[in-house]
Amino acid sequence: MVKRFFFIHGPEALVFVLLATIPLAVKNTFVLALLTLLAIYGILLIGLDVTVGYLGQVNLAQAAFLGLGAYTAGLAVNHFGIGMQSALLASLLVGLAFGTLLAFPALRLEGPQFALATLSFSALSSTTLNEWESLTNGAQGLQVSRPALFGLHLEAQGFFWFCLVLLAIVWLAMRNLLTSQWGRTFEALRDSPIATDAMGVGTYRHKIAAFALGSALGGLAGGLYAFNFQYLQPQIFVWDLMVVLLLGVVLGGRKNLWGAFVGSALIVLLPNLLSSKLLFRIISFAGLLIAVVAGGRSYIGKGTRPFQALAPVISMSLLVVAAIFVRNIEDMRRAIFALVLFSIVVGLPEGLMGFAARFFSRVLNIPPAPLPGAGPLNLVLEKKDADSSPLLEIRELKRYFGGVRALDGVSLVVSSGQIHGLIGPNGSGKTTLVNVISGLYAPSGGTMLLRGRQLPEGSLYKAARMGISRTFQNLQIFSELTALDNVMVALKGVYNKSLLLVLLGLARGEERCAQSGALALLEMVGLQDKARIPAKDLPYGAQRFLEIARALACRPDLLILDEPAAGLAHPDVKKLVEIIRNIHKLGISTILIEHHMEVVSDLCDVITVLDGGLVIAKGKPEDIKRNPAVIAAYLGVST
Amino acid sequence: MTASVVPQLVVSGAFMGLVYALVAYGFQLTYATSKSINFGQGELVMVSSFITLTLADLGFPYWLVVIGGLLFGVLLGLFVERAAVRLALEQKSEGWILLTIILGLFFFSAAENIWGRDDRPFPTPIPSDAIQVLGISVTPLEISVAVGVIAIMGLIEIFKRMTLLGKAFEAVSVDRDAAELMGVSSTRTVMLSYGLSGLSAAVAGILVSPITTVGPTMASVLVLKAFSVAVVAGLDSGFGVVLVGLVLGSIESLTSFYIGSGWREAPGLVLLILALAVRPAGVFGKVMIRKV
Repeated sequence: MVKRFFFIHGPEALVFVLLATIPLAVKNTFVLALLTLLAIYGILLIGLDVTVGYLGQVNLAQAAFLGLGAYTAGLAVNHFGIGMQSALLASLLVGLAFGTLLAFPALRLEGPQFALATLSFSALSSTTLNEWESLTNGAQGLQVSRPALFGLHLEAQGFFWFCLVLLAIVWLAMRNLLTSQWGRTFEALRDSPIATDAMGVGTYRHKIAAFALGSALGGLAGGLYAFNFQYLQPQIFVWDLMVVLLLGVVLGGRKNLWGAFVGSALIVLLPNLLSSKLLFRIISFAGLLIAVVAGGRSYIGKGTRPFQALAPVISMSLLVVAAIFVRNIEDMRRAIFALVLFSIVVGLPEGLMGFAARFFSRVLNIPPAPLPGAGPLNLVLEKKDADSSPLLEIRELKRYFGGVRALDGVSLVVSSGQIHGLIGPNGSGKTTLVNVISGLYAPSGGTMLLRGRQLPEGSLYKAARMGISRTFQNLQIFSELTALDNVMVALKGVYNKSLLLVLLGLARGEERCAQSGALALLEMVGLQDKARIPAKDLPYGAQRFLEIARALACRPDLLILDEPAAGLAHPDVKKLVEIIRNIHKLGISTILIEHHMEVVSDLCDVITVLDGGLVIAKGKPEDIKRNPAVIAAYLGVST
Repeated sequence: MTASVVPQLVVSGAFMGLVYALVAYGFQLTYATSKSINFGQGELVMVSSFITLTLADLGFPYWLVVIGGLLFGVLLGLFVERAAVRLALEQKSEGWILLTIILGLFFFSAAENIWGRDDRPFPTPIPSDAIQVLGISVTPLEISVAVGVIAIMGLIEIFKRMTLLGKAFEAVSVDRDAAELMGVSSTRTVMLSYGLSGLSAAVAGILVSPITTVGPTMASVLVLKAFSVAVVAGLDSGFGVVLVGLVLGSIESLTSFYIGSGWREAPGLVLLILALAVRPAGVFGKVMIRKV
């Protein structure tokens, strides 16, 4: 514990103290300017890392938010003569507002569409800053004077300290946020938005919050930028800057506060690195050396494809050639960025600090923070009374895909506390039925009632909030998160603290509580020893069990298991039966889709058989086995 | 006079719109096979134009120059596929967005250093004297743009429908895994789509260069509009891009006349964001069903 505290918080404190004391020791305006810029870019990149790192989306709008923030602060001071604190608040709010506005359309999208939306926003804001001359003074540029901060006039040194304090605050607040349920959810969203919705966590809300927050930090950094340079031009905030910012985040390391810091140090030093020929040569040779060693190691060790290993080496070689032969390096600036970025994205996707963090935690052998013991299971899942009253009632449910009648009027009743088996040949509509019940698809007709109340249609999120929780036939685990985090993301009713308290770090208590609850669920499915293992590294059977634990974390009234035994080895099937029995004992109603007849007849109280989108039989397992219609549907015997 | 100004603006804009449509068509080709697009496509347009210009300066005959430029476009497309798209998809990441941006940046810088930053005129055998059609002046150059765009898109579509290779292309677009199981190499098909996409970029470059001149930045705004056209029409909309391209080109030329030339980029950008907000699949695109 002491070791952990020392190595993790020690360097942070050290760096901030060092940075703060440099201006006292070195009286040099140039150094001071670099340090100030370092703090400003630090804030900017921490904001960018939220979308690029945690949400895993290519965000091309951060330079635009910097520009909007800068112009807001500048214009607010010029026109209204307000103090620095109010101007910065305005910048932050403008970033937040535009971020939210852009987030609504952009975040329904993934990958290329998201990148395009942010790219367009960027181009649009740059056009506006350029053309709205009556307000921004257009390409001529805008003079900004540095206002007083709470009545205090800051000189260069004071302003640097102020920026540094802000960076420290942002750093702490973001660390609190990103290690909380919020940060976990951001990462879960990247791995499987469908599953986060199905767990009732609310994809949309979290994505918007993440993007708006990152943009607000961009706006704040913009305000500081304006007061630092005291002169703004629209041309500053365009494509080139965006590429440089991405370079900073990617090179520093995604999902890492230190990465943002190192990245911003790099951006600040970049012009100086390129201006000295000797320095540039040394760096390019070092880069080539690293690329050769890293590429060779991964090719021999991990069996990376040859081209994958070779590409960074080629690109670094080009850089070395440029360093030796090109006379004016400044002209090749963009190509150099491109080569470095290319090598990093291909060869070192985790960035410098990601690599360093892994290296140091191995060398220093820092243990992770200890986990609390597993809490009692009945705190997480209180026993429900199974009174066999109707829980879910479905009447004449229909779902058509074009001309295909996947469900053609299905009616069934799931009684509370029962395990309700759903079987049928392939293509009979089982998965479509649970997809409609769980809200993935809206029905084409019919009614669905849960405890007599209308079920929301076509929203995984709302259905999950009503108490329906499911697993997926094709696994939808959050592969980058640990087993424990997978369950904690879905845990319902634990996280009640507001965003503000989380940012201030006052929500640690509920985090411990969530950990012990999640551990109890992992224990139930036999994964308590694997809590720290990333889900993608778990064996296949364990991943299936993890999905069940995660579905239980939503404290469902109705649990839907979609072919949980698919692909399981025999011992695991036995374990699965045991797990489902235990769930049954807790009084949770279950719909079980399964092909293993022995599992179904062993577990289920009632079975419904579907074929061609219609119910062809329902009843007790022993009756179903003898039902001629069912036998005909499965074996194709004519009756 | 003022009465004929609007149709004139619409028609001139529409011709430019066809070029956007062609570049957007290049996005569709690669999106169909690999769900990826080249964010540095504008640089492909620009570099192919420069190569063509260089060949022309070397004194080759015009037809040879054009063929050389087109071949180079194909090669560039294949390079982007190998060095950015396949590399990233092998790592199973969205890294291809970053990598194609990076390659674009590299091409841009290379062009800047090889050919300089100045815009240069592009030689063409087609006369540029305007002719009057129904009171609207149209230049033979503009007509050549229209003919070229429609011809190349038509040829690629015929290729896709009439040849075995083209059928393989369609098969991979519909279902990559199934096509793979039927013995169609999806890797080669993706390569083919990037080759064709590079070809269409080169055609766009050669068609538009005589009008806009050739320079490193010639395609940086063009590509933004091509993005708009592709997204508004839908990335799988086929000929929908032509219609949207025509409309966007006209709107843009009207905006530029009535509001100010600085704002001519704005309609495309606004339309793109609106389209993504209202109908992410595009006006002519198919809405996909989520599967689990």
